[in-house]
Amino acid sequence: MTAPDSEKPIVHVVDDDDSLRKALTRLLHAAGYEVRAHASAGDFALSDRDNRRGCVLLDMRMPGPSGLNLQEALAKEDEPLPVIFLTAHGDVPTSVRAMKAGAVDFLTKPIKREVLLNAVRAALARDMRLHTSHEQLRDIRGRFAKLTSRERQVLELVVAGRLNKQVAAELGISERTVKVHRAEAMKKMRATSLAELVHLADKMQSADL
Amino acid sequence: MPDHVSDSFWPRWQQTASTRVAIDPSAMLTGFLVFVGYYLGARIGFALTFQPHPVSVFWPPNSVLLAALLLAPPRIWWFLLLAAFPAHLIAELQSQVPPTMVVCWFISNCSEALIGAGLIRYLLQGPVHFDNLRSVAVFCLCGAFLGPLLSSFIDASFVKMNRWGQGSYPEIWRLRFFSNFLTALTLTPAIVTWCNFKPSQWRRIPSSRALEGSILFLGLVIASTVVLYNARTNPDPVLFYALLPFLLWAVFRFGSRATSAAILVVTFLAIWSSAHGHGPFTNESAEINARSIQMFLIAIAVPIMLLSAGIQERRKAEERFTAAFRGSPDPMSIVRQRDGTLIDVNDHWVKMFGYQRSEAIGRTLFDLKLCLLEGGHVQEMVGFRQSKPVRNVECAVRAKTGEVRQVSLSADIVEMGNELCFIVTIRDITDRKLAEEANRDLVHASRVALLGELTASIAHEINQPLGAILSNADAAELLLESESPPLDEVRKILADIRNDDVRASEIIRHIRFLTRKRAVQMESLDINEIAAEVVRLMEIEAHRRSVSLHTEFTAAPATIFGHRVRLQQALMNLILNGMEAMADAPEAKRRLFVRTVTNGKRRIEISVSDSGQGIPPEKLPRLFDSFFTTKEDGMGLGLAIARSIVDAHHGRISAENNSDGGATFRFDLPVRDSEASS
Repeated sequence: MTAPDSEKPIVHVVDDDDSLRKALTRLLHAAGYEVRAHASAGDFALSDRDNRRGCVLLDMRMPGPSGLNLQEALAKEDEPLPVIFLTAHGDVPTSVRAMKAGAVDFLTKPIKREVLLNAVRAALARDMRLHTSHEQLRDIRGRFAKLTSRERQVLELVVAGRLNKQVAAELGISERTVKVHRAEAMKKMRATSLAELVHLADKMQSADL
Repeated sequence: MPDHVSDSFWPRWQQTASTRVAIDPSAMLTGFLVFVGYYLGARIGFALTFQPHPVSVFWPPNSVLLAALLLAPPRIWWFLLLAAFPAHLIAELQSQVPPTMVVCWFISNCSEALIGAGLIRYLLQGPVHFDNLRSVAVFCLCGAFLGPLLSSFIDASFVKMNRWGQGSYPEIWRLRFFSNFLTALTLTPAIVTWCNFKPSQWRRIPSSRALEGSILFLGLVIASTVVLYNARTNPDPVLFYALLPFLLWAVFRFGSRATSAAILVVTFLAIWSSAHGHGPFTNESAEINARSIQMFLIAIAVPIMLLSAGIQERRKAEERFTAAFRGSPDPMSIVRQRDGTLIDVNDHWVKMFGYQRSEAIGRTLFDLKLCLLEGGHVQEMVGFRQSKPVRNVECAVRAKTGEVRQVSLSADIVEMGNELCFIVTIRDITDRKLAEEANRDLVHASRVALLGELTASIAHEINQPLGAILSNADAAELLLESESPPLDEVRKILADIRNDDVRASEIIRHIRFLTRKRAVQMESLDINEIAAEVVRLMEIEAHRRSVSLHTEFTAAPATIFGHRVRLQQALMNLILNGMEAMADAPEAKRRLFVRTVTNGKRRIEISVSDSGQGIPPEKLPRLFDSFFTTKEDGMGLGLAIARSIVDAHHGRISAENNSDGGATFRFDLPVRDSEASS
């Protein structure tokens, strides 16, 4: 909660029912969250989110595009905000579809305070976690981008477990040259040990899969 | 001339008169009988004159003529008068009367018969019956009194003109009037009643009755002979009463025919005795004796004839009532108001309650435990001074077997033998009641089923405000926990909570009717309002099914008379049916239209159009039958219920396929006049 305002997560409430939307906004606000209310899926889609993190409380059944439509649209974004679905009367087929599409939770109105706040807390934590790992990955990729093509070749082979001698033989260069490239790559990747380097490479690889 | 008389007096004869063949063989026979009767009458009249100088006491020819005119159709009256003329001539010319006087007398005699018969026919508009009080009164007044009265003026004038006879004008008038009055009074009814007697009726008389009749006749003749022939002059007046038992016997046991015959017997014997110097009417001059005997006989004949007619009229009324009572297809009973005693019951009553007549009559409704407590109305009627007839009161009764039936009861109050009684007619409506109940249960069941189908929508509708209330309360709680609670905000929250609470109860009120069993009263309703309410309630359901709902309501006045809840149910069933028909259609195409239009001036039509598959043509005719369904999970009741509701509102329901796909269900209802509703 000590984060600067621009870092503070926003909880979006999307519900066509004025009175319920107002009540949820009040509650979340009283619980200390920054809240933005939207009367329809379209309103939310058109709003400026300033690249801020957060989560979306989304009513399932609304005039115009439904909650599910909005969830599908959100999922195509780079770093989708987690979605908590709200429904007055959950029917099984709809909730299955929602969960498959990646909803973090599915709440039935009327919603108890702890249930709502726990769900929001969990969604924000998840968003934060995902965001952090996303940031790290971007950082690692940034470092990797600074390597020369020869340094990348050396790095790949080292991470694959080859000895300097073997690398030299494979690339057709001297063992000494390999050592120079390896040291340079380690420095650029800010890795202090071979284990750390392997770990960074792993992260990149798993994200690319 | 007689034809004109027939036209105006007795239209019944016009049809036969149209043949223009006035005199058929039966008329010839009648004419002959008139001839014979008239002649014999004159001979009897001459024979019964009082001596020494002839005073006519009883003059039958005119009465024979009157009786003939009363019996015959007016179109042959002229012929009957013509037939009497030769008889008149033969009879009168034997007694050395000048021919002019003979013709004049014939004219006055005819005038008497014509006046009497004409007036009677005019007043009664039909033949005279001596078992009807009015008929007898008209006969006595017109035939017996007015006819002789008026014609006697003519007669006396003729006598004076021809300088015949020695008496003064009033004296001649008086003599003729009284003898003709008496004769018409006593002879004409006998002729008329006995001529209407068909020979075949003799055979149907039981021998006991024939015996009784013979004893009566003999008794009457003996009594009359004793009183009127054997008695000396100035007898004890009590002696005259010896005739009464026999006359009353004829009146009470036999009727008009025997009564008129009995009167005639007494009349004949009285006059015959006096004419031959016997009996009580012989001690004064011939004129005074004649007047005494005439007064005596008239004073007996008029009341006896009226009494006879009155009694027979009453007997016929009773017979008619008894026939109606016994033959009524509904169970009927006569119940004494004072204590509920059954006085009479009919066959259908016996069949319904299972008690024999002998078991039921004389016992009270309460002895037999006929009325159940729900029939409290009956208990209220008995023993109280209820003076209004009761109409169609529904109550329960118990038969001997203990079976309880629902009946509709009507009762009229009549006085029977100085006791107030109810004539109670009941109609068994058990089956109708059961059918009504079954229908009500069915309608209710379908409404509950409808409720089940709408659960999702209803839950959504109600949970929306409930969710807002809960979250608002939670928010307020959190705000109050802070160091300086924002009380203004909390106040706003409380106001919102109240609003949402009201909203939730509104929704519950709207759907409550689905679970109510008894529908409210019929009332004046705006059909547009009803349709709008139903559409509002169905909107969520429509959204759930991805159906877009559209409405087009008429701007014309749409006031009808009916059950709000039932009409809503009918419309809901049609809307739900339409939505279900579109379940397989692409979402974008699921459009449902609810319209109201005025259909002519007197009716308003409500239609529901969908864009589904439409109805297979072979299924159209049975669409509204119960348990007929084209859906796999349907009960087949929705449309049947809708139809039964529309029928009960005097409406018509129909279904057809649209030209551009889908189907339209419509029903129309009669528009209620604004004047009638005010």
